[in-house]
Amino acid sequence: MKMDRRSFLSFVIGGAAGTTLSPLPWKLTDDLAIWSQNWPWTPVPEKGEVSYANTTCMLCPGGCGITVRKVGDRAVKIEGTKGHPVNNGGICILGLSGLQLLYGPTRVPSPLRRTGERGENRWQKVSWDEALAWVAEKLADLRGKRLSHTVACISGTDGGTVPRLMERFLTAFGSPNFIRTPSMRDSYEMTLHLMQGAQASIGFDIENADFIVSFGSGILEGWGSPVRMFRANSVWKENGVKVVQIEPRLSNTAAKSDKWLPIHPGTEGALALGLAHVILKESLYRKDFVGTHTSGFDRWSKEVVEEWTPEQVETVTGIDKSTIVDLAKSFANAKKPLAICGRGKGNTAGGIGEFMAVHSLNALMGNINRKGGVWAVPGSDHIHWPEVEMDAVASAGMQQTRIDGAGTDKFMHARHLLHRVPEMINAGDPSLVQALFVLDANPYYTLSDKALLKKAWAKIPFILSFSSFMDETAQNADLILPNHMYLERYEDVPYAEGFNKPFIGLAKPVVSPQFDTLHTGDAILRLAKALGDPVEKAFPWEDYEGCLDDTFGDQWEELQEIGYRVESDFEPGSRNTAFETASRKFEFIPEESKDAAKNVMVKAEGEEPAYPLVLIPYDSPRLASGFIGDPPFMIKTVPDTVLKENDLLVEVHPKTAQSLGISEGKPAVLKTPKGEARVRVHLFEGIMPGLVAMPTGLGHQAYDGYLAGKGINFNDLIGPVEDEVSGLDAAWGIRAKLSRV
Amino acid sequence: MKNEQAKKYGMVIDLDKCTGCGACMVACMAENNVPFKKDETNKLDSITWMRVFQLTNGKSFPETDICYIPRPCMHCEGEHGHSPCVSVCPATATDYSQQTGIVSQIYTRCFGCRYCMAACPYHARYFNWWDPVWPNGMEKYLNPNVSPRMRGVVEKCSFCFHRYQRAMEKAFLEGRRELEEEEYQTACTQACPAGAIVFGDLNNEKHKIHQIVNPDPAHRGRPKNPKAFRLLERLGTNPKVYYLSSREWVRRAGDNYLPHEGSGKGH
Amino acid sequence: MDDALIPKGVKRCPLPEFLMKLGPVVVVLIWGIVAMFMCWFKGLNQTNMNDSYGFALWIWADLTVIALGGGAFFTGLLRYIIGKDKLKNIINFAVLVGFICYSSALLILAIDIGQPLRGWFIFWHANVHSMLTEVAFCLTCYFGVLTIEYLPLVLENRQVDQVSFFHHLSHNMHEVMPIFAATGAFLSFFHQGSLGGVAGVLFGRPFAFREGILIWPWTFFLFTWSAAAYGPCFTIMLAKITEKITKKKLIKDDVYALLAKISGWMMATYIMAKIIDTWYWAVVTAPSKGQGFMEFYSDNAFYGIWILILEIVVGGVIPAAILITRKGRSTPALLMIAVVLAVIGVSVNRWVMVLQVMAVPVLTFEGWPMYYPSWQEVATTLLPVAYGILLVAFSYRYLPVFPQEAELNPIDLESDETAESVTASETADAKLSPAKA
Ligand SMILES: Nc1nc2c(c(=O)[nH]1)N[C@H]1C(S)=C(S)[C@@H](COP(=O)(O)OP(=O)(O)OC[C@H]3O[C@@H](n4cnc5c(=O)[nH]c(N)nc54)[C@H](O)[C@@H]3O)O[C@H]1N2
Ligand SMILES: Nc1nc2c(c(=O)[nH]1)N[C@H]1C(S)=C(S)[C@@H](COP(=O)(O)OP(=O)(O)OC[C@H]3O[C@@H](n4cnc5c(=O)[nH]c(N)nc54)[C@H](O)[C@@H]3O)O[C@H]1N2
Ligand code: SF4
Ligand code: SF4
Ligand code: SF4
Ligand code: SF4
Ligand code: SF4
Ligand SMILES: [Mo]
Repeated sequence: MKMDRRSFLSFVIGGAAGTTLSPLPWKLTDDLAIWSQNWPWTPVPEKGEVSYANTTCMLCPGGCGITVRKVGDRAVKIEGTKGHPVNNGGICILGLSGLQLLYGPTRVPSPLRRTGERGENRWQKVSWDEALAWVAEKLADLRGKRLSHTVACISGTDGGTVPRLMERFLTAFGSPNFIRTPSMRDSYEMTLHLMQGAQASIGFDIENADFIVSFGSGILEGWGSPVRMFRANSVWKENGVKVVQIEPRLSNTAAKSDKWLPIHPGTEGALALGLAHVILKESLYRKDFVGTHTSGFDRWSKEVVEEWTPEQVETVTGIDKSTIVDLAKSFANAKKPLAICGRGKGNTAGGIGEFMAVHSLNALMGNINRKGGVWAVPGSDHIHWPEVEMDAVASAGMQQTRIDGAGTDKFMHARHLLHRVPEMINAGDPSLVQALFVLDANPYYTLSDKALLKKAWAKIPFILSFSSFMDETAQNADLILPNHMYLERYEDVPYAEGFNKPFIGLAKPVVSPQFDTLHTGDAILRLAKALGDPVEKAFPWEDYEGCLDDTFGDQWEELQEIGYRVESDFEPGSRNTAFETASRKFEFIPEESKDAAKNVMVKAEGEEPAYPLVLIPYDSPRLASGFIGDPPFMIKTVPDTVLKENDLLVEVHPKTAQSLGISEGKPAVLKTPKGEARVRVHLFEGIMPGLVAMPTGLGHQAYDGYLAGKGINFNDLIGPVEDEVSGLDAAWGIRAKLSRV
Repeated sequence: MKNEQAKKYGMVIDLDKCTGCGACMVACMAENNVPFKKDETNKLDSITWMRVFQLTNGKSFPETDICYIPRPCMHCEGEHGHSPCVSVCPATATDYSQQTGIVSQIYTRCFGCRYCMAACPYHARYFNWWDPVWPNGMEKYLNPNVSPRMRGVVEKCSFCFHRYQRAMEKAFLEGRRELEEEEYQTACTQACPAGAIVFGDLNNEKHKIHQIVNPDPAHRGRPKNPKAFRLLERLGTNPKVYYLSSREWVRRAGDNYLPHEGSGKGH
Repeated sequence: MDDALIPKGVKRCPLPEFLMKLGPVVVVLIWGIVAMFMCWFKGLNQTNMNDSYGFALWIWADLTVIALGGGAFFTGLLRYIIGKDKLKNIINFAVLVGFICYSSALLILAIDIGQPLRGWFIFWHANVHSMLTEVAFCLTCYFGVLTIEYLPLVLENRQVDQVSFFHHLSHNMHEVMPIFAATGAFLSFFHQGSLGGVAGVLFGRPFAFREGILIWPWTFFLFTWSAAAYGPCFTIMLAKITEKITKKKLIKDDVYALLAKISGWMMATYIMAKIIDTWYWAVVTAPSKGQGFMEFYSDNAFYGIWILILEIVVGGVIPAAILITRKGRSTPALLMIAVVLAVIGVSVNRWVMVLQVMAVPVLTFEGWPMYYPSWQEVATTLLPVAYGILLVAFSYRYLPVFPQEAELNPIDLESDETAESVTASETADAKLSPAKA
């Protein structure tokens, strides 16, 4: 018995000791630790040969050169291209996030044809042949019914070969309805046209200016070419250049400026004229320029001096008159002062009166087409295709008035008026648009007055999106013909927004297409072929690359190698020849449109007391506010004072919040004449009392779980406010009511 | 390599230039395979090696002012490399390199006790509360030079150490032992569209950072440039990230002061 | 049913009743185990900890149970080294409580770390500069000591003891127990201290940071001191609770009184040192980092100044005052109030040194982060409590934990039918007392 117990014990104890001393438990422990360091579900990036490919970023009109680092055939990082004329190595937050778009789950994998109701997001994959044949059949049918002009295209850009191919396609087919999405480009183009007689893009020689007055331009939010503006801002800091930021909210730009002047929103034009008043009264303007190169000065200055006294301007803008006088003097006494406008990123058009008032300040300082000033930059002239030979149907179609009314007697100087389209569609029966193409644009998200838009949308029988991504427009289309995304394709980028030199960037494929996509250029060519003559005849190219090669001719190889073309020694025309107005001078009051500058201020929609507050949008450099959905990286950088879980926080001044009985982070209902949304409130000392500010770029319904459903789309709460002279959408905000829940 | 001069890599960020755009944050995430979740609005569990904070001067409208301040890891030197986090890590999973001044983080050694996080006053350290998951297909962009981290370990800004390694390898192959200033630059420095970040060797008089900061070796690298300051200088963490600001209130916001104490430059 | 296992000379309730009463405890235990496995398999996202609260409820629970378990080493020190022989009547229970506390602490640590499978790196890749390394080594060693101290009690189970090997083993272990007690005291001095050092060395956290001697901040000594002072109170409190539940007097009052008196004086001296430490920190240390005393207690109702008063006055000065007076410690109600307040006091101290350290912002542009534990954290924290209750219950039922029980609760021998029991109550007494040293 005793012995048994003993031997049993020895066995147990000896066994335990033996096991402990054996390598087994130690090996197991070690193996487990190693396993925890190499969990099979934690990805291990594949190694490979490292290479770099240069191309041009197309995520915004900035025109930056980017260098893509590749490992094997994978793109692993996007960086700014050193020595590039626009961005010289810098890059913005959106450009950096590009690979999340390339490899992200929001890509449209192949042509998709809608199966469910529109917007239900139920699709059937179809082959490219099938899809293109289907479109061609629809188009042929419309053309047969002499309804070619009811085909319209909404495009994000208009200068490059792809939009020009699309426009050409519409022309040969017989429709004048190629419509570019709105932005400050519209207003600046019109300003240059009316005051200087130029068909040109606006360029700012910002690096050489020495005093900047910005009427709400989001210099550091993404205005113009964002990276270039950031760089310029740093140069200003180094050289002691003063920046005065005029806007109702302490934006990033305002925070970095030397002086922030909060202003009642919508009255920026009045302030510009108030400054002009002081400059005129004190005779601080450049007589040499004004005397020899301008016309209409006497009448204009009389008006300004009479109507826009500092006292009056103080009442309107809320900025006290001594500040106005001081600012005017500092501006006028600078060597190379520059006045700019276009709110935030310039994603909206804006009232022509305001733009002209601001531009007049530059004219008073003789600051046009000279160092440190505003330059009229001729549009790129790289496209010299043969004239389209139109048949009778095409001619008849092209004779029709554009659906947006641009170029008609009423809106003679406007080129694109997209905001008018929904209303026009709703007015006609049947719809004036029978087929809609959407190219590099997301109007279902970016257009305001959602009720009107949705009604119009439902009336369009056929909607085709060329989007690479499942954005709102694609999700609400009937057919998606996905383009290669920008890192997979060739395309010319014909300008960099606000750049003061003629510039063409070239996007080049840095990776092979990841999905069954087709270059939209090729899609257009194949559609033309499917339709046969006379449309086919207008496209004498085998494929899109052939078209590019032909377009650039002997410059093609050089462009491919360098990746861009810039006229670095470009000088704007001498003032004797630069102005192509009837007077050959800068016209303070344009002969062509004497009323153009009439509406210096545009009222926000809505009336008190139902809507006691004013809602304004604000742009953030960390949000892609509009055309590209924010990739996960960007959303991750959004502060929790802007987005908390899926709730959007609107900014209000603590006093305003207190009067409404709402405290920090609390829910509220925001109501405008156009819509209503549940928001939360963030108290911010940096916003004028009486205002509510809301970020743009959120509230997406499409895309993926990293973006959809987060926040509110500002466009859902606002509607267009048409500038009656120009027709441009001049909305800058809307009256609103905020109530606690 | 024996007689290599010890380097002390550091960063100086010009807050007058920094726009708060967040490009440095994303450059870092893209370079270093930082994961993301569907909801990143809880900033207390959102991994951002580089995070841009907002400072406020505390005044009311319209005297309000704000300033952005990017915060990577400060690569604190403490006293003789006794940085707050390094000295506490029980497993030696984070270390101070006397050769480069970089505070490393070894993910495969870290066992996730989070003591280092408790020690870091800058909240520069982040714990992987979740498994990192990339949406299907997106793992294609992952950078093979930086291994994705497993759940349960701490990570932080490494001054893009892999870039240093790559640059050194290249230099060795070319028979050199010293790097040129531009050969080793961090991803955030490179990306910053405002050019607000300058990175280099604080010990090297030829490097821009040395010239800008003018560190005082007698006072643990305290900047002699009156515009320059460091965060929480008074704690003795001896950071290698410096900031520049022409605004007095910004400099003061970099540290804690008792009400009666003077400006940040006074001590 | 289990009569054969029950110690001689004492009475226990029937097994079904015993098991029934433990039912709810087992439910809590299972709940805790489920939560534990969720934390292991899904990761620490199951908790509400975050990057600002890297240390939270669990680390607090760890520090607290270790402080409370300090009764074991300190009572052992008094009994075996100082020679307070009377304490032999409570030492078994103190060791049992200590064993529970330390095993719980180790279990919680194994859940708390992000990579439990790599926990041993703390030994393998040890960083000698880290207080946590010191904690890990001492804690593990001391747990071994506690196991050795607890083992003889197990071996004294009536059935186990019949195996002569175990009988002799147990006897021999008793012989060398002073050596282990001394080792335990030494190890405890360091790990209790280094746990204090964990917070005190954080020179980036002015709320926690303390100056000190060489590498040891004041908190090092304060923690050891407070564990010695407050740990016995916890032993007393649990013993009293056990008496309440069993409806039996288990330990004589003079034993309680002795331990309470020593504890009271320890506490009195500790709290004076703590007040001096707090004052020095408030007046010298914190201001040198630019932070005013009230900054640590304002802006936030949860971490208001009340917490300091609760810790020092309510949980320190008052119980110390009660325990150092003869009247206080000999009045059962006052004694109970004092030990409960003391337990609260030391728990609040550990709470503050973990949670408030995390909450106080250091950067001027950060706010006070808030944290409340998730149910998984609460459940895993209650898991050791349930486990502790079970271990006390089973130990009490089957092991001779309280040497004075038989004497204080004589049972009617007639009703006891087993042959041996008739021999003499002296035998039972011998079986129930711990082996003589
Ligand atoms: N990081 C980042 N960079 C970007 C982009 C991005 O999304 N993210 N977007 C790119 C794009 S698409 C562009 S076009 C460029 C340029 O960026 P932009 O597109 O130029 O940005 P805006 O549309 O000008 O910003 C809109 C601003 O206009 C103001 N606003 C609204 N209504 C009015 C009005 O009636 N008058 C005036 N004056 N202001 C008004 C609003 O306050 C708002 O701040 O930025 C590009 N850069
Ligand atoms: N309310 C409001 N309205 C706005 C703006 C705003 O900020 N707010 N911004 C205005 C401005 S400045 C602009 S530029 C416009 C732009 O905005 P819109 O012209 O309204 O259209 P976007 O959505 O920008 O068009 C970009 C589309 O191109 C897709 N896309 C991106 N890359 C590719 C690609 O490689 N191939 C193809 N086929 N598609 C691609 C995207 O998924 C997206 O659907 O919106 C304007 N309207
Ligand atoms: S500014 Fe525009 S073009 Fe430049 S990188 Fe950013 S998104 Fe691309
Ligand atoms: S990228 Fe540069 S400008 Fe932008 S937030 Fe970072 S440091 Fe500031
Ligand atoms: S900033 Fe924090 S993580 Fe970085 S070295 Fe300093 S203490 Fe360590
Ligand atoms: S979490 Fe990792 S790095 Fe930090 S102290 Fe613990 S083991 Fe070291
Ligand atoms: S230095 Fe590198 S790791 Fe650190 S923040 Fe910058 S990019 Fe990130
Ligand atoms: Mo745009």
